Amino acid sequence: MPAALIDKDTRLEDRFVSAFEMQEGLSLNGSNDGLRRLRKEAIGHFATLGFPARKTEAWKYTNIGKLLKRPYALTFGPSDDSVSASDVEALLIPDLEAHVAVFVNGHFNAALSRLDDLPEGVVVTGLAEAAETHTALLDAHLARYADSEGEVFTALNTAFTKDGAFVYVPRNAVVEKPVQLINLMTTAEDALVQPRNLIVAEENAQVRLIQSSRATTEVKTFVNAVSEVFVGDHAHVDRYEIQDEGTTTSMVTTLNVYQQASSVFRNSTFTFGGEVIRNNITVLPDAEQCETHLYGLFLADGTMHVDNHTLVDHAMPNCFSNEFYKGILDGRATGIFNGKVLVRQDAQQTNAYQSNKSIVLTDTASMYAKPELEIYADDVKCSHGATTGQLDEEAIFYLRTRGLTLQRARALMLVSFARAVLDNVTLEPLQEALDAMVTARFSD
Amino acid sequence: MNTDTQYLHDVADSDYEHGWVTEIEADTIPKGLNEGIIRLISSKKDEPEWLLAWRLRAFRHWQSLAAETDKYPRWAHLDYPDIDYQDISYYSAPSSKPKYESLDEVDPELLRTFERLGIPLEEQKRLTGVAVDAVIDSVSVGTTFKEELARQGIIFCSFSEAVEHHPELVKKYMGSVVPYTDNFYAALNSAVFSDGSFCYIPKGVRCPMELSTYFRINEAGTGQFERTLIVADEGSYVSYLEGCTAPQRDENQLHAAVVEIIAHKDAEVKYSTIQNWYPGNAEGKGGVFNFVTKRGICDGDRSKISWTQLETGSSITWKYPSVILKGNDSIGEFYSVAFTKGRQQADTGTKMIHIGNNTSSTIISKGISAGRSNNSYRGLVKVNKGAKNARNFSQCDSMLLGDRCGAHTFPYLEINNPTAQVEHEATTSKVGEDQIFYCNQRGISEQDAIKLIVSGFCQEILAMLPMEFAVEARKLLAIELEGSVG
Repeated sequence: MPAALIDKDTRLEDRFVSAFEMQEGLSLNGSNDGLRRLRKEAIGHFATLGFPARKTEAWKYTNIGKLLKRPYALTFGPSDDSVSASDVEALLIPDLEAHVAVFVNGHFNAALSRLDDLPEGVVVTGLAEAAETHTALLDAHLARYADSEGEVFTALNTAFTKDGAFVYVPRNAVVEKPVQLINLMTTAEDALVQPRNLIVAEENAQVRLIQSSRATTEVKTFVNAVSEVFVGDHAHVDRYEIQDEGTTTSMVTTLNVYQQASSVFRNSTFTFGGEVIRNNITVLPDAEQCETHLYGLFLADGTMHVDNHTLVDHAMPNCFSNEFYKGILDGRATGIFNGKVLVRQDAQQTNAYQSNKSIVLTDTASMYAKPELEIYADDVKCSHGATTGQLDEEAIFYLRTRGLTLQRARALMLVSFARAVLDNVTLEPLQEALDAMVTARFSD
Repeated sequence: MNTDTQYLHDVADSDYEHGWVTEIEADTIPKGLNEGIIRLISSKKDEPEWLLAWRLRAFRHWQSLAAETDKYPRWAHLDYPDIDYQDISYYSAPSSKPKYESLDEVDPELLRTFERLGIPLEEQKRLTGVAVDAVIDSVSVGTTFKEELARQGIIFCSFSEAVEHHPELVKKYMGSVVPYTDNFYAALNSAVFSDGSFCYIPKGVRCPMELSTYFRINEAGTGQFERTLIVADEGSYVSYLEGCTAPQRDENQLHAAVVEIIAHKDAEVKYSTIQNWYPGNAEGKGGVFNFVTKRGICDGDRSKISWTQLETGSSITWKYPSVILKGNDSIGEFYSVAFTKGRQQADTGTKMIHIGNNTSSTIISKGISAGRSNNSYRGLVKVNKGAKNARNFSQCDSMLLGDRCGAHTFPYLEINNPTAQVEHEATTSKVGEDQIFYCNQRGISEQDAIKLIVSGFCQEILAMLPMEFAVEARKLLAIELEGSVG
């Protein structure tokens, strides 16, 4: 059902607005007044904000407008029969026992998912279904943490929200096995997919999530994903995102995390492939004693473009945050790291650290780093460091004197550079799988 | 701890010590900015036609920027009311205009002004060997040691004199590093600049003394728009000092200067600044708006440009002394201490553009914020595609002396070559209670302890200043911290 192919002459934003008007009823839970109002507001914000102009500071190094001009389809069938269990199989982590939720073009597919043995009270399902079955939770959390008023891609996603992942871990529940969320894209035409994920971990809950996606077709896809994570008092949420797209997929992911007292949130983003990838992460530790860890590793080659933006907004005292991003840029790739730590006036005793290290391998690759500190409290410890360089000639020489080929010596050094990030992956099978991906990348 | 807090409050609230008005009759033109005013400024200065044409081109460019509100630079982390550019008088010169042969002819009132600033011109002339090109408001009134410099072929004079006597040099280099199209304030300066300094060091000459100018903003309601041009020819060396204090004023004074430095093959230029203009009162009223474009180009191989600055004044500081590293093996350096208190806001840093091979740059920036001030470091390190073996080290440390001030770092690192090695690190800290306790134990009062700690924090930078300046800088920093407590 390929509706609303965007035509070429109107202003880019207007195409989306008119598409919204045409198919309002098709969106998530059309009967729910609250959601309808939310979407209406969001499209209004979207029209006001407009897509980032070339000079917008936050998009200084990423020209997203160029990609959006493609005539993507905005709607397509809720699911696709062409996806088989073997497609899913390919994305599973070897030796990892996990609860698996599968989404096709952003829509939950129960038949392909394996969610039989979830602990008591824990819910993993599609957002559309949750809108019917867990209305109160959606009302309490959906669109509370993501910023539709200020972020144009969040506004767009909110306006077109249809489905996505819904994970609910109630009070005191511990999900032992990790939950893997797999999104497969199989559209027959160029498409804009907008999944909306909501993760709610209540007081003392613990959950580990692995998010991965893959396009199985050769058409151009653009994913505009928004995830909201609520981490309750003393809750622990570990989240891993693996981005290994082909060169036909571009992505803007937005992750908004809201942390309550003494909670721990850890996020790791691994980017191995894609056309243009932009990751926005905003964490708001809104109570004392929160702990936040953000890790990232990006390996880019070809003409790939990876843009990581993070903001840790320390509003309350006695919190800890740590950011650690590493990147290797080959070919004509471009890497961007823009990390910001904001320490508000009342956030005394904050400890915030940030580190970004990159290796540029060719003279056609580029790295842009912008590590920012904005500090309004005096009793804090904050630091950031950023380095960009190349492989150490002497270390390579040393390895070669030990009989390694240049190729092997380089590979060894690049893999060990990347491993510093992988060391923070606490799921052993996942760590091994990622290690294998990194090694394979540099071994040929 | 209470007395400590009290002390910090006092520091933050302390008055500007160098505030008074010199009563010299001034020749001021009406407020406003239009083509007529530009022509008037040009004719008052008896300028040649080509310079007027250049001013007018700059003015038209500025107009086109001012007409579009989105062209106005708003990206800095600064908060200030819009400036009414028509409400400013763009030229002010002491009315008794003849050029003096000796200091005896200079208005004694003026000489006393310098003495109060601690810069006795005569003493300096005799004892310290510093040639002083004193600029009050906009016109150069005294130049010393000129003859001695002339013997070595060094040209050190006011910009107007340079236009008159060395038009070929001015034509060749003016606008070559900071073109009038560079930014909003550079365009404004190029259109209305009143005077400034010009310095040319010939091939192979090592300038035997520190060259210095003291700028003061003096007439109420006049902006000051100097332009400095320093050219160091092959194998030469010069150390240039610029220092400023301004009388206390009630309304905001706009200052938009342009400094251009050209270093040819094997040349070295060291540029040091102390800036202590009126920062406004405790509520942030008044104070100087300081929008400065400073840039140097290491044009030849093995050339070097070094910026050192101590920024303690102005209510708004918008300043990014930069180096374009074009020659192979060239070196750029930026050492800065920025101290803000009261309601002061500073957004300052540097740009290092690596173009040649084997270039290196060092950035060390120390920010100290007190009171309700905001102090930002904003810097760019850019390594171009063809720049092999570029090396950069950046360090930005901030110190907070209160819980209502802000310290920010906005570094930009743009690396387009795999052989580049770029490092950036930043820290933020406060004066530790244990440090103060340690000093107290040894009989050092809280005040002295804070002075000691802050001075230690800045030591690295202050050590970079030339001798005479380093003494003044230390004194100034101590006075700033001391405030009314004494």
